[in-house]
Amino acid sequence: MKSRRHNPEVEDHGIDLAPMLDFVLNLLIFFIITTSFIKEAGVTVVKPSAETVEHSESGNILIALRANGDIWMDRRQVDIRDVRPAIERLHVERPEDTVVILADRNSNAAVMAKLMDEVRSGGIKQVSLAGAPLGGE
Amino acid sequence: MRMRRYRQQEHESQHGIDLAPMLDFVLNLLIFFIITAIFVKEYALEVNRPSSFEQSSAPSTAITVGVFANGEISVDGRTVDLRAVRANIERARTADNKAGVLLVAEPGAKNGLVIETADQVRQGGITDITFSTSE
Repeated sequence: MKSRRHNPEVEDHGIDLAPMLDFVLNLLIFFIITTSFIKEAGVTVVKPSAETVEHSESGNILIALRANGDIWMDRRQVDIRDVRPAIERLHVERPEDTVVILADRNSNAAVMAKLMDEVRSGGIKQVSLAGAPLGGE
Repeated sequence: MRMRRYRQQEHESQHGIDLAPMLDFVLNLLIFFIITAIFVKEYALEVNRPSSFEQSSAPSTAITVGVFANGEISVDGRTVDLRAVRANIERARTADNKAGVLLVAEPGAKNGLVIETADQVRQGGITDITFSTSE
């Protein structure tokens, strides 16, 4: 609109900003909406493969359990006793988030049970176990 | 850039707001959101975890599936192969289709086997899985 009004007077106005601005704003809104506040574990584990795994839509807090018993959440290694306060804090921030435990194939089931108990006592009752889907995707 | 702004001011003042700073800001915001966007979606299967109070009052119709530290799996006390878990669960489900599964892992059992067993149970048609450990 600006350039149209100016065309008779100024020819070297440069590109018309309005469509670009529309586009950029749309892009911005798209990214704001699709941003999910996932707390990544910060470490990769070898997940067991499973056929019946599903997308966990609200599973935004990822806790990794490594084969040697190390627990990682929010990109740093934590002690098992620090899990409960951390979960309590995250639960207050976003109450609808649930926990996904990424347990290594060779990690101990007793440690996972303890970890699930800590998460539960931190206030998040819904805990899922991550698996790698067999079909690849 | 500055040249243009000056010239605009000379020509007319009813030009509306200057778009350039807003555009800078919006572009920065856009870049920030693109960078911080994480496209991670985990695939997971859901299991229940009994609280210590409920532990004794597990439903009596539960099928007990044990996972042992030496890699053995048992369904209701019988040692079975991982591939036979599904068939066993299906058979048990025909007898009682409201039955849940109590997945009891021995301390020291590998989580890979636990999750694969839980997957087999789900393939057998029971999604109500409660995870527990034998002390």
